[in-house]
Amino acid sequence: MSIFRLAYNNIRGSAFRSMVIFMCVLGVASFLLGTTLVISGAQNSLNVGIQRLGADILVVPEGAQTQVETALLMGKPTNVWMPDSKVAEIAAIPGVEAVSPQIYLQSLYGAACCSVSEMFLVVYDPATDFTIKPWLEKELGRPLNTGEVIGGSYIFVPTGQTSIKLYGYNTDLVGNLEATGTGIDQTLFMSTATAEAMAKSSLTTAVQPLLIPSGQISEVMVKIVPGADRHKVALDILSGVLGVVPLESPNMFGQFRHQMTGLLWGFVAIMVVFWILSAVLIGLVFSMAANERRREIAVLRALGATRFYVFRSILAEAVILAFSGAVIGVTLATFVIYLFRTYITSSLGMPFLFPGWGSFIGMVAAGTAFILLTVVLAALWPAYRVSRMEPAIAARE
Amino acid sequence: MIKLQEVTKEFNLDQQVITPVKEVSLEIGKGDFVMVIGRSGTGKSTVLNLIAGLIKPTAGTVFVEGRDLQTLSDRDMSKLRSSDMGYVFQFPSLLPSLTIIDNIAVPASFAINKSKDGGRKRAKELLGMLGLGDRLDCYPRHLSAGEQKRAVIARSLMNEPKILLADEPTSDLDEQTEREIMGLLKQINDSGVTIVMVTHSLGLVPFCTRAYSMDKGKLNLTHANNKSGAK
Ligand SMILES: Nc1ncnc2c1ncn2[C@@H]1O[C@H](COP(=O)(O)OP(=O)(O)O)[C@@H](O)[C@H]1O
Ligand SMILES: [Mg+2]
Repeated sequence: MSIFRLAYNNIRGSAFRSMVIFMCVLGVASFLLGTTLVISGAQNSLNVGIQRLGADILVVPEGAQTQVETALLMGKPTNVWMPDSKVAEIAAIPGVEAVSPQIYLQSLYGAACCSVSEMFLVVYDPATDFTIKPWLEKELGRPLNTGEVIGGSYIFVPTGQTSIKLYGYNTDLVGNLEATGTGIDQTLFMSTATAEAMAKSSLTTAVQPLLIPSGQISEVMVKIVPGADRHKVALDILSGVLGVVPLESPNMFGQFRHQMTGLLWGFVAIMVVFWILSAVLIGLVFSMAANERRREIAVLRALGATRFYVFRSILAEAVILAFSGAVIGVTLATFVIYLFRTYITSSLGMPFLFPGWGSFIGMVAAGTAFILLTVVLAALWPAYRVSRMEPAIAARE
Repeated sequence: MIKLQEVTKEFNLDQQVITPVKEVSLEIGKGDFVMVIGRSGTGKSTVLNLIAGLIKPTAGTVFVEGRDLQTLSDRDMSKLRSSDMGYVFQFPSLLPSLTIIDNIAVPASFAINKSKDGGRKRAKELLGMLGLGDRLDCYPRHLSAGEQKRAVIARSLMNEPKILLADEPTSDLDEQTEREIMGLLKQINDSGVTIVMVTHSLGLVPFCTRAYSMDKGKLNLTHANNKSGAK
């Protein structure tokens, strides 16, 4: 009889005890993986999103910082403006290699062309742009013509139509950016010429005309000279250009990150408490089982089992329960998060991008190992005690 | 074969110390069939446990096959139990979640020379011999008390022991079954296995070579048959 077979039979033999342990492990495993997934998904999303932005520094109007960050993060439409004279001022700061303005258009609600209810319209300047251009060169091999747009991963042409109609103007969706999990996914990018054509046509064709204030822009993308100190350049922009705030891209979404860290620690605290309780409970359950099993163990010992064998057979039980609980918990959590990711992240107000396979497998393996280790540790002492007990062979009841 | 020298066993209960075995000396030779008779709670099972090395004497020495059990490591003791001793328990001792054949084969996994089939062939033979050949795949709860006892005897014979320790193997059984089981033990004894059997039934004395009665922690010789001929 292999030790695992014996352990398996013991597990089946005491269904209630096994169920308690199994449920504890399952709960902890799914919670652990669930929270790790949500938080690493947010982290992943931020990183991919910032990379997609493709600028070292974003310069926005003073006071509009939070608005812009929210727009980029969650695709919440926003209206921010500053004079286009700022572009030249920023370009003159030492250490700045390239600048390109962008305009956030009045956003559309309930657009039919988008799997989300709000769409964020961004106009870029093809003459100076350096953030959309690399993508266009790689994927399209040419710049966008007037009337053509590219969208985030959630943007699509409504079924039965060949173009996306905005303010009564038909645009051709010629490509989709990769998913980032951020507001960029619900953003539509168009050139200045397209925006102007749209504004012009909206006067006659749209219910509500599109107004682009002349001489105004929403933000400026900044690329710094290779090797320059980003922070110093940002400080120089702050002191040298009035009425603007520079956002260094790696530090963007600071407030959000702060919230996320708070959430993370909250999760960790709940997790730790939950897990300590579970470990104690598991240890207790194994200890309690000790007495009930004295006879069975006496039988095994009388048949020639060593103390070490008894010890291992109890640990084997712990391992089987921990492993199966962890695997099922992890699978469950993965499915739930995958299926409800949109709902979960929107209710938590967090961006989310499912982590890559490599890091996902890493998480699962680390979580399972952690759980296995703690359950085995919790069972170690009871198992040792049971194996050392004097077998009770006398019928004393 | 088995020798107890001034063996005492005390148990510490909450308030008091009880001494079910008090300075007992006993010698059992090869091929003996020894019975220990007494009322319940007199320490009969404790004597068997001491011989099996499952519990340690508070004082005195237990020898089995010339070896002082105190000096054996847990591993060597387990090995000795597995290869040389069979144990029939007083209480139901089949593992409830295993089929009969798997139960009977359990000792094979502790044997020194493990057979390739995990002892299933021998388990089948033994069960056939004990009239349980058609119950191999039943679970213990589907067997009557007498059948369970027989299965336990089969299990105790799994590793061909030299010593069989049987704790009330016929309690709770009807007379017919009792006789069957005694006949079986007799047969086992005739094949050279030394038997120490605990019972509270005086009527079984004719089967043994020697009988002791147990009282107040002491063993007193009450019968000595030259050859256990009586049936
Ligand atoms: N492990 C133990 N711990 C404490 N007391 C025990 C233990 N085993 C047996 N006893 C006590 O020792 C006495 C003798 O028990 P036992 O040997 O089982 O008697 P018998 O088999 O003759 O009925 C009883 O009073 C019993 O309660
Ligand atoms: Mg007894």
